[in-house]
Amino acid sequence: MKPRRWPLYTVLAFGYAFLYVPVLLLIVYSFNESRLVTVWTGFSTKWYGELLRNQQLLDAAWLSIRIAATNATFAVVLGTLAANALVRHGRFRGRGGFELLLTAPLVMPDVIIGLSLLLLFVAMQQTIGWPDGRGFTTITIAHLTFSMAYVAVVVRARLAQMDRSLEEAAMDLGARPLTVYLRITLPLIAPALLSGWLLAFTLSLDDLVIASFVSGPGSTTLPMVVYSSVRMGVSPQINALATLIVLFVTVAVIVVTLALRGGGGGRAR
Amino acid sequence: MRHLFVSFRKISLVLVAGLAAVSVAAAQTVHIYNWNDYFAEDTLAKFQERTGIRPVLDVYDTNAVLEAKLFAGRSGYDLVFPTMYPFAARQIQAEIYLPLDKTKLPGWTNLDPKILESLASADPGNAHVVPYMWGTTGLGVDVAKVRAALGEDAPLDTWALIFDPAHAERLAGCGISLLDDPAEVFAAAMAYLGKDLNSIAKEDLDAVQALFAKIHPHIRYFHSSQYISDLANGDLCVAHGYSGDVLQAQTRAEEAGGQVELEYLIPREGAVLWTDVMAIPKDAPNPDAAHAFIAYLLDPEVIASISNYVFYANPNPASKSHLDEGLRDDPNIYPPDEVMARLVTPAQRSDRELREMNRLWTRIKAQR
Repeated sequence: MKPRRWPLYTVLAFGYAFLYVPVLLLIVYSFNESRLVTVWTGFSTKWYGELLRNQQLLDAAWLSIRIAATNATFAVVLGTLAANALVRHGRFRGRGGFELLLTAPLVMPDVIIGLSLLLLFVAMQQTIGWPDGRGFTTITIAHLTFSMAYVAVVVRARLAQMDRSLEEAAMDLGARPLTVYLRITLPLIAPALLSGWLLAFTLSLDDLVIASFVSGPGSTTLPMVVYSSVRMGVSPQINALATLIVLFVTVAVIVVTLALRGGGGGRAR
Repeated sequence: MRHLFVSFRKISLVLVAGLAAVSVAAAQTVHIYNWNDYFAEDTLAKFQERTGIRPVLDVYDTNAVLEAKLFAGRSGYDLVFPTMYPFAARQIQAEIYLPLDKTKLPGWTNLDPKILESLASADPGNAHVVPYMWGTTGLGVDVAKVRAALGEDAPLDTWALIFDPAHAERLAGCGISLLDDPAEVFAAAMAYLGKDLNSIAKEDLDAVQALFAKIHPHIRYFHSSQYISDLANGDLCVAHGYSGDVLQAQTRAEEAGGQVELEYLIPREGAVLWTDVMAIPKDAPNPDAAHAFIAYLLDPEVIASISNYVFYANPNPASKSHLDEGLRDDPNIYPPDEVMARLVTPAQRSDRELREMNRLWTRIKAQR
């Protein structure tokens, strides 16, 4: 007897609904005419117009995206180096401590990271004069402390699974270690680097608590504006902005997927 | 594979190059740290027009974040807007604010002496902070639903809606919310019990706890902002909330088609009066510009335009002629003297008292 399929499909449908209905609702209500986020009164694109005129919100979004991208890029570099050390360098002295310290930020409460970094930055400014005030740089550094750890975890898993005979083959053929790393290892772990980059990007874009502590004059990130507007009521402009971000992310993910497929095809030829 | 590697490298190069930080330095700027949407839309632009000083606004979401930055020092802000009790009061004690130079504030005499007096207990001589906006904490009521549950002539302006177990039980169906703030909730409960709003006597606190044992199942949630949209949507019928927030809910309900008729009421038993203030941190980079901004906000016309936008009362009686009629004549925004007499400013608490209150608060909330 064939097992019945419909219970599985029902569960699947509920799963998808749970994940995506909220996002769909958010997008639908960005076209709502009412200022109320949850009462439908008619179709309108006026919130997109207002969003484009809301310099404060746009500045905050732009700042958040810049911080997230810079943070993700550096996090991938540092996280990959850390993962390399853990996977490739055997049992070096202090490995246990290194591993522990690397993953500590994953479980550290945001408030503690935020406050301790704030105190550090203030103390540094008083003693060595850098950083001069807080803003883009300090938020990026703060985000790096934890997103780097996430990248290291992702890249480490990929490195550990990698077939080392490919590298050995390249070295047999006379490639220098650097060339092997750049031409063999990096391309093989590229998917992990990419997902690490996207993960770090998202974590940084999302973060409210740490950024609140280490931001300075003239550097308000998007989550800070959103949370601050809760006191006076969230405007559908936020829905409009979120819709644009969802659109942006969807396009980016599709492009990345296609690029990875293209890469696979290239090897087949 | 090579193709993939190249494109990946290209992507990261473009990103790194394109995203280098750009910092802008201007001749005269004033860095303002305030709640979001707490100025009118043209307030900052007009200030720049009038003085040539460029205002840079940052926003925060809780008093706690503001306080953490101020106490850490070198916040870089010239002007901040904390709530007076308990935040600004504590910050004044910690001596982190610059004494005001009142010769630079010609509009000072416009300020309401009664409000100034209410601030003076924590700021002797009003040396450090200037009142910005004030309001009350009362009840947001969905009139039709409450009448349907309690009868046509049930009084609405009373804490009994929440704290009388019989009322609370009948209103539980349409939804009751309380602020997530021990000081505010205890003050409301004390008012209902007929005690001093600021009482922290042991037997009074015990009475509050006993009261919550009875009404707890009927409270839908404790939250300090969610009630705005829930009231407007008709998902709540009684909310313990801030005056301006409830009035926002009212406006939004009207914009949404007007099926929900909301009212803000100051309970007859008494209520909390709170004030948001402005202050200049001691290490502000540009205190002169901060003074200029305060002086600008003391202009009756300017502050009236902000009140018209944020629905909060300002401490500047001279501004009344510039206020929208609906706002000026609303007894719940500008209460008449006999109501004012029943309003109480929150007391300052010692660390030990705060700990006691928080302990009780946790017990109360954990009952659900």
